[in-house]
Amino acid sequence: MSSIKVLDPTANRQSDNASPGPDAGPLAGKKIGIRVDQIWRCWDWISENWEAKFRAAGAEVSYWRSTNRSGEEGEEQLRSLVEWLDTLDCAIFGLANCGSCTGWTVHDAIASANAGLPTTVVATQNFEEFAHELSERGGRSGMRVHVLPYPLNELSRAEVDPVAEEYFDGLIKVMGASIGEQKAAA
Amino acid sequence: MTIHKIRPSGRPANVPHTLVSHDCGPEACEIDWLVSDRVEVDDDISAFTSLSLEQGWGDGLPLVPPTENRVRAFLSENHRYPDKVIGRMPDSTECTVEKIVVNAVMAGARPESLELIIAALEGVTQPDFELYGVNATTASVYPAFVVNGPIRKELDIPCSYGCAGGVATQANAIGRAIRLVMRNVAGQVAGVTSQTTFGSPGRLASIVMGEFEERSPWAPLAERRGVSGNAVTAMNTMGTMNILDTTSTGAMAFIEMIGKSVAYPAANCFSPAMEYSEMYIGINPICADLIAREISNIEDVQEAIWKFAKLPGDWLQEHHRVQVEAQGRIREDGFIYATPEPKDIILFVAGGLGGLHALGLHSFGSSLAQTRALATVDAKATQAA
Repeated sequence: MSSIKVLDPTANRQSDNASPGPDAGPLAGKKIGIRVDQIWRCWDWISENWEAKFRAAGAEVSYWRSTNRSGEEGEEQLRSLVEWLDTLDCAIFGLANCGSCTGWTVHDAIASANAGLPTTVVATQNFEEFAHELSERGGRSGMRVHVLPYPLNELSRAEVDPVAEEYFDGLIKVMGASIGEQKAAA
Repeated sequence: MTIHKIRPSGRPANVPHTLVSHDCGPEACEIDWLVSDRVEVDDDISAFTSLSLEQGWGDGLPLVPPTENRVRAFLSENHRYPDKVIGRMPDSTECTVEKIVVNAVMAGARPESLELIIAALEGVTQPDFELYGVNATTASVYPAFVVNGPIRKELDIPCSYGCAGGVATQANAIGRAIRLVMRNVAGQVAGVTSQTTFGSPGRLASIVMGEFEERSPWAPLAERRGVSGNAVTAMNTMGTMNILDTTSTGAMAFIEMIGKSVAYPAANCFSPAMEYSEMYIGINPICADLIAREISNIEDVQEAIWKFAKLPGDWLQEHHRVQVEAQGRIREDGFIYATPEPKDIILFVAGGLGGLHALGLHSFGSSLAQTRALATVDAKATQAA
């Protein structure tokens, strides 16, 4: 059989930066940003728990909430994200717990990483691989991803709080951060 | 209480641009305009289809091999340069005319359909269309397209019987071409970059239908959205919802059935994941005529449907109600409305003359429909200069 040459229908993705970005380092005196959304109440609860620990360690915490991404509100979201990032020393982005919310979590985290901030994405276990895939496609394959158990949002607050406690040390490790031992126990 | 109203943004997608100078024209230049990698394969559709599956290029159905000759002929018939960038995809990949044509050839689309495919993709790549979320989501969403203008007849885009799927016209190849671009250029692959839980048959060839302008009592959809003549409106949908009505006799009865039917707790428009969404509804020509006899202004029809497309806040489960209440969406009358305003219930006329059914297309997230004009030869010449 004779052969033919066909054209590849795919387009190349942008170039990759495999670096995880800088470590967050000692947290005392720093301003830590936590990106939340309006879908996952479990992530609000975990963020509140971790906020208390960060404050006990001498850090300041600032929140940014992702809402609508279309229309004038979407345009304003992008503006406010950039302004918020500019006020931070390091940032935590969540929650990657569905398809589009993983997409937007990673989207916003890439903006943070590209701005040079120590950046960590928080994903539930089912979306861990997806978060890495989207990070790579967005040109940041080395993105730090901290993984929480799944399913999570289906649990009560009484069940979620222990998860926040259990996974805090792992978060600090993934962030490349450090806090004083006595303060960590607070 | 503050209702978040839908205000389309002025964000530019990416201004279309070309990658190299066009001064010498496509035939005179010594450069090779086609930059895609060449892959050798047996001259056989089965062999190419197998290759496409190995490479992750295909959708599982037989594909036409995109040879250089086929791609060049497609471009030539449309007076198009292949390096023109039409839009930017979610991971910043540039979507060029060349990649669109390669995928269109694979899908079996005809050259004369290229401008419709390009206009549709221009809509899909607008920031307000939220392709970033569409690609990644667990939802079953896919873009559907409503075509207006004489191009419907020229391309045999179905407006009547079976227009939302199943009619043997080239609309299927056009929709398939768009879907292949979303796969191969935008990178939407189920289980890899798309988390869609169930998917949809619409993810194979989308919905490409015409508005039945000749039987509509109202102005064409695109014209009402500011674009006259040949145009396409892209709208993300979770799938088709049938609304059967064998009992109504007057305009308000039809409207009540349609409005109430599209309102259910798990519909996109009642999700607490965002503060607002649009709703798309296709009305069959018989029903449209009956409605228009009593309500001639389509804005009044939109408002009448909107008033029925609502749910009582206290009917929702607590976690759901608390979240939409925090968004200010439970109004003073105790109801949550499907959309912020009547204008966000977007109507068009299509379907067969058997009547009885309306077509509900629930949107995805807060994505907004996009209407684009099809380029003319003059416009293309201006863009190429």
